[in-house]
Amino acid sequence: MSDSFSLPLRPLTEKRDHPDTLPIEIAQINARWGSFRDINEETLRAKIEEEKNRDSWSDEDETDKPAEDVDTTEQREQLYKRRAEILQFAMQAHMEALFALDFVSLLLSKHTPRQAETSMSSFLKQVAPLGSLNAEIVNPPPKSDAAVQDVKTVSRGWRVQNFNAAANKLLNSATRLEGEVASETKYWDEVLSVKEKGWKVCRLPRERQALGVQYGFLEATPIFRDRGLAALRRGENGSLRLDKGLAPQKTRTVRVRVKHRGQLTGCSKLPESPPDTVSVERTILQARDTVYEEELFHELMREARIMGSQGVTTRQNLVRLPISQEQEILLDLVDADAPADDAETESTEHDVLADGLSHSIRILLAYAHRQNLRRRTQPPPALSNKRRHTPEYQLLRPVMAYLQHSAHVRWLESFLKDIYGVLRAAGLQCEFQAAPFSSVSLPRMHPAVPKVEALVQQFLMPFESTFSGNLVTPQSSFRVKIRTNPVTPPFGSLYDISVDLPHHAHVQPPSRVGLQSDAAAALTHVFKLDIVSAIAAHGSKSAPEGTKKEGETGLTWEAAYPHHGELLALSATGRSKKLKVTLSRDELTAETYSMRGIDGHGQAAGTKPPSHSQTWKSEQTDSQPSLMDFVAEVSREQS
Amino acid sequence: MHELLLFASVPAHQHHELLQQLAGLTAMQPRHRLERRLIFKAYRKPGLMNTRVGASQDLQGLELQRLNKMLNGGMFYTQVVGPVAETDFGAKPSSSGDAHVSISGLEDQSSPPYSYEDQPWKLEFRDIPEAGTRSAVTARLMASATLPKGDITSPMNAWGYSFITEYVVEGDVFVLNDIVIFLHRVLLYPTGAQESHGPRRQLPAYRELSPLERTGSYVLQAAITVQDGGNQEMMRTASQHLFGLREQLKSAVRLEQADRLSLDTRAK
Amino acid sequence: MSSLNQDQIKTLEQSRQRLIQLTHSLASLITSLNQSDPLPSWTSLQSQATIISNNLLTISDHLSDNRDLLANVVAYPDASYPSRVPTNNVALEQVLRTKLDPRVEDWVARGRRAGSSDSAALGHGQGLSEQALSDLWHWAPVEANQEARRRNWGGNFTLEEREMGIEKVVTGLTRVLDDDDDDDEDQSDSEEGEGEADEMEIVGVRRRSGAGAGLEFDIAAANNTPGAGTKVVAPVVPLEEILRFMTTGAVPGQR
Repeated sequence: MSDSFSLPLRPLTEKRDHPDTLPIEIAQINARWGSFRDINEETLRAKIEEEKNRDSWSDEDETDKPAEDVDTTEQREQLYKRRAEILQFAMQAHMEALFALDFVSLLLSKHTPRQAETSMSSFLKQVAPLGSLNAEIVNPPPKSDAAVQDVKTVSRGWRVQNFNAAANKLLNSATRLEGEVASETKYWDEVLSVKEKGWKVCRLPRERQALGVQYGFLEATPIFRDRGLAALRRGENGSLRLDKGLAPQKTRTVRVRVKHRGQLTGCSKLPESPPDTVSVERTILQARDTVYEEELFHELMREARIMGSQGVTTRQNLVRLPISQEQEILLDLVDADAPADDAETESTEHDVLADGLSHSIRILLAYAHRQNLRRRTQPPPALSNKRRHTPEYQLLRPVMAYLQHSAHVRWLESFLKDIYGVLRAAGLQCEFQAAPFSSVSLPRMHPAVPKVEALVQQFLMPFESTFSGNLVTPQSSFRVKIRTNPVTPPFGSLYDISVDLPHHAHVQPPSRVGLQSDAAAALTHVFKLDIVSAIAAHGSKSAPEGTKKEGETGLTWEAAYPHHGELLALSATGRSKKLKVTLSRDELTAETYSMRGIDGHGQAAGTKPPSHSQTWKSEQTDSQPSLMDFVAEVSREQS
Repeated sequence: MHELLLFASVPAHQHHELLQQLAGLTAMQPRHRLERRLIFKAYRKPGLMNTRVGASQDLQGLELQRLNKMLNGGMFYTQVVGPVAETDFGAKPSSSGDAHVSISGLEDQSSPPYSYEDQPWKLEFRDIPEAGTRSAVTARLMASATLPKGDITSPMNAWGYSFITEYVVEGDVFVLNDIVIFLHRVLLYPTGAQESHGPRRQLPAYRELSPLERTGSYVLQAAITVQDGGNQEMMRTASQHLFGLREQLKSAVRLEQADRLSLDTRAK
Repeated sequence: MSSLNQDQIKTLEQSRQRLIQLTHSLASLITSLNQSDPLPSWTSLQSQATIISNNLLTISDHLSDNRDLLANVVAYPDASYPSRVPTNNVALEQVLRTKLDPRVEDWVARGRRAGSSDSAALGHGQGLSEQALSDLWHWAPVEANQEARRRNWGGNFTLEEREMGIEKVVTGLTRVLDDDDDDDEDQSDSEEGEGEADEMEIVGVRRRSGAGAGLEFDIAAANNTPGAGTKVVAPVVPLEEILRFMTTGAVPGQR
């Protein structure tokens, strides 16, 4: 810069000038150049720098150190040293000026005593009475040529030096300004590019002179909302630097892991660590993500604490979410670049589940933000002493409800499949239909609610799945409704079983069954009842036909103790037979016992081995007689 | 309930800019609000109230009691406010008086008819602002209650109130914590209309409305409601919140206490 | 030898006045230095330095203007001077001292060294001749002044922007920025004498106000200067009348 600057500001001199002492400089430069362009620490430092390069013949301040290795304390010391110097010069100048004033005043006090007295120092007034100085005009001999020449030399010397100093100063400031302009340009270009990418650039509330970028979430809890703003500082050479203050610089993220039977079987994907060349845009994004993740974890913890009754536990940096006896979900906040602990992870079987959950909780937080906006922009309730409590967000509860619900659905489905498998193996024709998550219906969305919100709302409502099927006897059917309530008690899943049994119109299983085993027992019982009814009905239907056939008097079965699965048949001979049906998830067994009396179902049956017995299992492949064949068979046994 | 208020007059040319400033300040989009406002005036001394009001079966018993208390405290002007949409203006009256019966004609699908019978109403009662200048805000007792839908004149008459006039208020609402900011103006129905004895059963086209303030200026109203006006601490908090807003907006508008008598609701 | 006449006394009185100013401005610099830690704001330091410098310049001009007189006046103690007290004599010597202070002596010596080395260089055929240097010194202030005038030391627009037409400049601000540069040029041309110092000072003033306000743009400023196209119309119905109408239906102006 200084080279290309074409103004002949610097007179040609062999030797480098040395700088002036400050008061004189001020006077000289102000007289020649007007006021300084700048006085601040930088110019002072530039001056120190300049003095470092001084010629050897200069005779002052040899102790100055090179500017680059002065630390802050030394800088301070030097600043105070300079200040003391300025002060010293000013006082010296003041004293000299006072002497001159005293002199002129004393001189004038002879002629205008009252005026002159006002500007005399009190000391002078003590020692010299007014008018005690005389003045006369004399004709002194002219100054010698040598003296005149000397004055000229001195004057020329100083002029040259001061021009040099001023020129240097101007060139330095020009260079500095050019540097400033360049870095300001760069800074503002970058600010502009940030703005053009759509970030909100604004003034910092606590530091009105600085610019900031808003990347956080306005609807977040205040501590996180306020962290969503960082200063855009001008770094060295004008590059933009994001100053988040005390907030951690690391990228953090919420990690979701699945634990299945005590082993880690899935982990959500962590964001990729930023590349080495980090742009401001990238830094802002990273800051935004981190503040979101930290808020997410904060809210997860807050919600987890009210879910103790559902078995959710928290540790300092971990939330444990029990789903079923086999499965639990672990959530924690980790550094994004933390090495994945592969040693712990047993398989990647549930990675997809973990990822799904990880997306879900983030979507749910965004939904909570929207709800906050909605609440915030509604006319507020009247001011009162009651504080408005911000309810815990629904993040874990919907997730947990969903997982539990689907676990129940899967269990019931497999349970019914097993039972129906057994029934079909026994030659009984019946079917069931499953409608998992029948409560989730997207077309039901309210048109006034934005689509994304309506979509999420579906998952915040109680989940419902229904199973229905027909039983063995015609017109009899069952219906199971599984309901899981994510938010309001009663938590957990409930089974609502309703049946339509024409033969047992009064029979209704208990509603709101909480335990799977209870539900299974109830359903099994219903099936057993129906099978008993079917056998009885079969008997009565086939009886007329049976009577037609000579010599083959079939027995007629009556459902004597249907709840125990027992039927009785009384033959003409007076001997009775008992048929006992037992049903479980795995098998159906029918056994017959010979009995003496109608009433004798008690001990006699228990101790005696069954006269006939048949068991059907769903997985069996070899052909067996059907249940009805078996019944027909034992009905004929008579003769 | 008590209501604390500050007002400012906003010249028309500043309106757009102030909207943007308020949107920035409150970090929300303005909520447009359009209201019919009916002014009623008590014509009967208090205490003669007939509690059997035919059309009030929609009202809860408690609400009715509150209404009675409110309306029988003295002789007052009171407002009946009903939300409307811009499409209600200039819309054909629904034929059967029932908006739910949709006419199969296609042209009616585009602009649903305005049904006066289904117009919801709220009674907004305001006392004269408290006297005394201990604080620089307007403070007044307030109460509001839901009224039956549809024709409101007969129940109001039964309460001893007669219809005075009606106008439309158009504006935008912002919420800043406890403060509701309403930047609004009064629109008048076209003059010479015949329906001056009661509320209009149908509304003229929106463009036929003219601002009360001819230059189109707006009124900025900042309000906080306080549940218990006797709670001095709450009242102070509310005033301070309003002063905070006044400070934040001071370079844009000057929010001030209103002239007490201009809000005098007493019927003389 | 003659005693002083009224004119000469007047000249001395002027010297006294100027010295009073100088001592005052130096005293105020000392005070402000003492009262601030570490330094007063640079703007105030600079303006004080300017004042002192102007004082010095005035004195210097005054001394050289009255060189003939002042070089020929000699001062000596009157018979009335109480010279028997020794301390009085010390004080008198102090006042009548013509010898330079050692530091000033030093300063002169350094100037002499620099001057003679410069002259020595000249003797070796390097550097500028006396005449050339003198020409340079005459040319330089005018040239520098002109150069300075070509720059816009304040204002809101660069020269380039102004050449393009400031209407097209996108500032992103809604307030209207003054372009008062035209005024500057007119003024400075007419005030040729003090132009330089003046203009620099104006820059300082602008900067100062600018530093105070910083990036803060008053919203009010925007309101007072509405954008083109919108008419500024003050409401004709007072707020109270509107509120009264809203409350009781009383039509404004008909009470």
